[in-house]
Amino acid sequence: MELILSKNWHVPDQRKLSVAEKNGAYSSLKKIFGMTPLQVIEEVKASGLRGRGGAGFATGMKWGFIPKDNKKPVYLINNFDESEPGTFKDRMIAEKDPHMIIEGMIIASYAIGAHTSYIYIRGEYHRPWEILEEALKEAYAKGYLGKNILGSGFDLDIFQHRGAGAYICGEETALLSSLEGGRGYPRIKPPFPAIAGAWACPTIVNNVETLSNIPYIINNGGAAFKKIGTEKSAGTKLMSASGHINKPGVYEVEMGLPIRTFIEEHLGGVWKGRKVKGVVPGGSSFAPLTNDEAMRTNLDFESCAAAGTSLGSGGFYVMDDTTCMVRLLQFTTKFYAHESCGQCTPCREGSGWIFKIARRIESGNGRERDLNLLEDVCSNVVNGRTICVFADAMAMPVQGFLKKFRNEFEEHIRLGKCPHG
Amino acid sequence: MSFEFTTENKKKFEDFLRRYPQKKAALLPSLWLVQEQQGWISPESMEYLAGLLDLTPAHIFETATFYTMYNMKPIGKHHIQVCNSICCCLRGSEGVVQYLKKKLGVNVGESTADKRFHLSAVECLGSCGTAPMMQINDDYYEDLTEEKIDQILEKLK
Amino acid sequence: MVKIKIDDKEIDVPQGTTVLQAAKANKIDIPYFCYHSKLSIAGNCRMCLVQIKGQNKPVISCREQVREGLEVDTKSPEVKKMQKGVLEFILVNHPLDCPICDQSGECVLQDNYFKYSKSSSRLEDQKIHKPKDKPLGPLVTLDDERCIVCTRCIRFCDEIAKTHELCVTQRGGHSEVTTFPGKALKNPYSLCTVDICPVGALTSTDFRFKKRVWFLKTAKSVCTHCATGCNIKMDWDDASVYRYRPRENEAVNQCWMCDEGRLSYKSINDATRVLDPLMKKEGKLQKVEWNEALQKVLSVCGGSLGDVKVVGVLSAQSTCEENFALYHFIKNGFKNSKFLATKKEVKNSSHDNFLIDADKNPNTNFLPLISVGHLSGAADEFPTGGIYFVLDHLTEAQKEKIIAANPRLVVWMTSNLSESGTWADVILPKPTFAEQDGTFINRQKRIQKADKAFEPKGHAKPVWETLAELAQRLDKPVSWNSAETVFKTLAESVSALKDLSYLKIGDQGVMVS
Repeated sequence: MELILSKNWHVPDQRKLSVAEKNGAYSSLKKIFGMTPLQVIEEVKASGLRGRGGAGFATGMKWGFIPKDNKKPVYLINNFDESEPGTFKDRMIAEKDPHMIIEGMIIASYAIGAHTSYIYIRGEYHRPWEILEEALKEAYAKGYLGKNILGSGFDLDIFQHRGAGAYICGEETALLSSLEGGRGYPRIKPPFPAIAGAWACPTIVNNVETLSNIPYIINNGGAAFKKIGTEKSAGTKLMSASGHINKPGVYEVEMGLPIRTFIEEHLGGVWKGRKVKGVVPGGSSFAPLTNDEAMRTNLDFESCAAAGTSLGSGGFYVMDDTTCMVRLLQFTTKFYAHESCGQCTPCREGSGWIFKIARRIESGNGRERDLNLLEDVCSNVVNGRTICVFADAMAMPVQGFLKKFRNEFEEHIRLGKCPHG
Repeated sequence: MSFEFTTENKKKFEDFLRRYPQKKAALLPSLWLVQEQQGWISPESMEYLAGLLDLTPAHIFETATFYTMYNMKPIGKHHIQVCNSICCCLRGSEGVVQYLKKKLGVNVGESTADKRFHLSAVECLGSCGTAPMMQINDDYYEDLTEEKIDQILEKLK
Repeated sequence: MVKIKIDDKEIDVPQGTTVLQAAKANKIDIPYFCYHSKLSIAGNCRMCLVQIKGQNKPVISCREQVREGLEVDTKSPEVKKMQKGVLEFILVNHPLDCPICDQSGECVLQDNYFKYSKSSSRLEDQKIHKPKDKPLGPLVTLDDERCIVCTRCIRFCDEIAKTHELCVTQRGGHSEVTTFPGKALKNPYSLCTVDICPVGALTSTDFRFKKRVWFLKTAKSVCTHCATGCNIKMDWDDASVYRYRPRENEAVNQCWMCDEGRLSYKSINDATRVLDPLMKKEGKLQKVEWNEALQKVLSVCGGSLGDVKVVGVLSAQSTCEENFALYHFIKNGFKNSKFLATKKEVKNSSHDNFLIDADKNPNTNFLPLISVGHLSGAADEFPTGGIYFVLDHLTEAQKEKIIAANPRLVVWMTSNLSESGTWADVILPKPTFAEQDGTFINRQKRIQKADKAFEPKGHAKPVWETLAELAQRLDKPVSWNSAETVFKTLAESVSALKDLSYLKIGDQGVMVS
């Protein structure tokens, strides 16, 4: 399989512009300045690239949403908030090949007509921020950023904007609120950011990995990208693998790789000679898969969706057969209780309540009615009842764990303690 | 105790303003700058920023308190933030928290008496592949064991 | 106009209306907390969720624009479950404070709960605790546990008061409304946040724990603190006023009022109320019976007065009825008359571009209609040796001028006495505007009616009643015998008020040409 994103991760000093250029960095720029922005968008549409941040929306289509008659400034935002539990692949790209990110942003900005672009980077990622600052400096010095890039007449500034510890700022409208200097409150959609985003101007928000794919698409053509992967999930995916496996880390796989193959051949199998109890393929905000389900599912959007979960951000973690799922659910619900922005009623109150029930069950003080209660509370926060889909992200793992591992919860309640000790 | 940016930080602040079409957008970077300068976001610093950004102090306060990384009170010099989230839990983060509590003699959310360390439990830090791990100020320390933790803390004065 | 359907009802609504507005206009109940007609849409309470035919996700009706053919369901089982769900979520952390909460009885949460839920609590865990009884400023106390973070108060301070003093801090279930540390909520309209708070989170420090609202009776009245004349609800019980709340009048004050005006009700209950007639005897004021006081007045006013002028000192603080009754009484009853008028002048008077007028006279535009000009300060303004009937208050300087003018008699009709008062010979207690019907003409030249709330306190008598009796005894009877009939006579005498009546003025007032 041809590597797209991690091709040069093994190269020492790939962070340095001079080294990256030798490996092809910024070679796409000459090409795009010979294309119209619309042609660039068409190429990305043809590639079938879908967003890599978690939602999987068609990237080319998103870029095309900028109104044709727009007279306001346009902004490109690189969503580097990467906070989905289990996910650490964007950090890897930045640490290993930052110039790929910048190159992708230049192409995207050109395509949508943005002259100021921002990288919204989570506050905790200080090292990646430093690395990118250095890379940006180099790019400016070389004339890849700033005024009249490569004599094209195209101006572009890229600035980094550090977050400060809020998962919700990965939600694109909350990101905009935070970029503008406020609390990370998601906004009611419509209007969508492409129409009215940052400072009420047309804005496109793309994930780091999504943008990192763009140079390849320009250099090799959309069709070439489309050939890789599956019918509905083109290209490769960076999987962030963690949990009870022998070889955690970031892996670039072709879309469609069976989970079984991924675990056995790439991840060195389950640690300590144990067996798979459950798998979360795409980050904590979706339902887990049982071992049986995981062994029948592939790493692409459509297969995961058919299995009742999602490829999401590719935050892939494995739970072995000694894992207490009740305990894991407690940690999962704790995450959402901490990260709820608190703007709307169901999520603000529901997130804390769900966590408290889960914690009570884990501590041995659960009651039989708590399981139905959890399910009912979840049903009261999902599907449009809240301002954003954080509440759905909170509810799906709860509903999933209860559905797939209900007997464990019942046992906890019956025994009045954790059967795993 | 009034607050003012150092000359160097004032220059950085001016640079922030040039990056955004509206002043308010410079707020998050400015809060980072305040924290770099004095370790925490004091009421005086918030009033100072309000003046610089043409906002009310309430604007600054509401934004600063939304985010977990801005310290709203002074804390120990080395802020130990242990990832306490799902994937780190799978790889023993609870043990790390317990070990640090015992070693430092503090609870989560407290600073040591000599103000050398502050212990926090935080959510996913994006380092699940090298769990369990912790962040101390700007730096990540990964694949932790008790020995490693001892070595790391030993070096931090 | 577009045609939409809400439940079974087909209605025509203007383009640009929201579903919630359309429902309200057609008396269809959709519950809400965070929506307020004068504030931006927050869409955070989620109480107004409804279903739209053809859409699988519900929408918040406060934000959903109408369009041709829209079909809305507000009563389906799903909508009912959502309403119960939102109420349950609010009550997860909301304390069961009703027995000690001022808002009880006028609480949107109580009302919505009883109408749309009535479900028992399923919470078996600890509620989140937050600061209770926190002074936000001199006039507003906050109970953070009761707060449902609807942000109405925040939006009010942003959009109406334009001060951004309030903010939501922290996040998630720990969100707390507060001010910047050390700063108080003290914009001049701060108590409006208490009006609009749908629960008992923001309470008036002044009103706190004073009276259960179901004991209060409400009169439709007008604030008398300045010339704006904000429409108010005067809440009272047992001949005491407990508070003012703004009353909606789009043309005057929308639904707001300032704190100063709101707290001016205190003068009605004030200990300085004069409740009995007083007469100066041996240099001191003594309580007398009405008859004795009136006899004294008649002894000076009765009979031929020659050139003696009877002077009416009218007031822009008093109602049209009070002023006109005195004016008419004097004009009708005496050959030589003169009319002067006082108005309250305040140094460095508070004022703004909104509702606070520097002119602190509620009836600022009545006296010009009967061509009575305000005291100019001219040396010979007060006729020497005259008989003075004075309405309301004089400044020290004005009192000295009257005394210097060697009056035959000074009759002072007032409701409050906070000075020695010995510059007057007879003090006749009159009720405040809370204890009588009356009208005021405000700065916009709008005539507005303040309804009587309760009977005059003590032995106070309306000015028109006192003067009607005096007129009767002077053999110059007047035709009026109530505030309303005084107004009728007034309307017949003044062309600008022609054809007006209390009925026509209604509770929203009428512009005067």
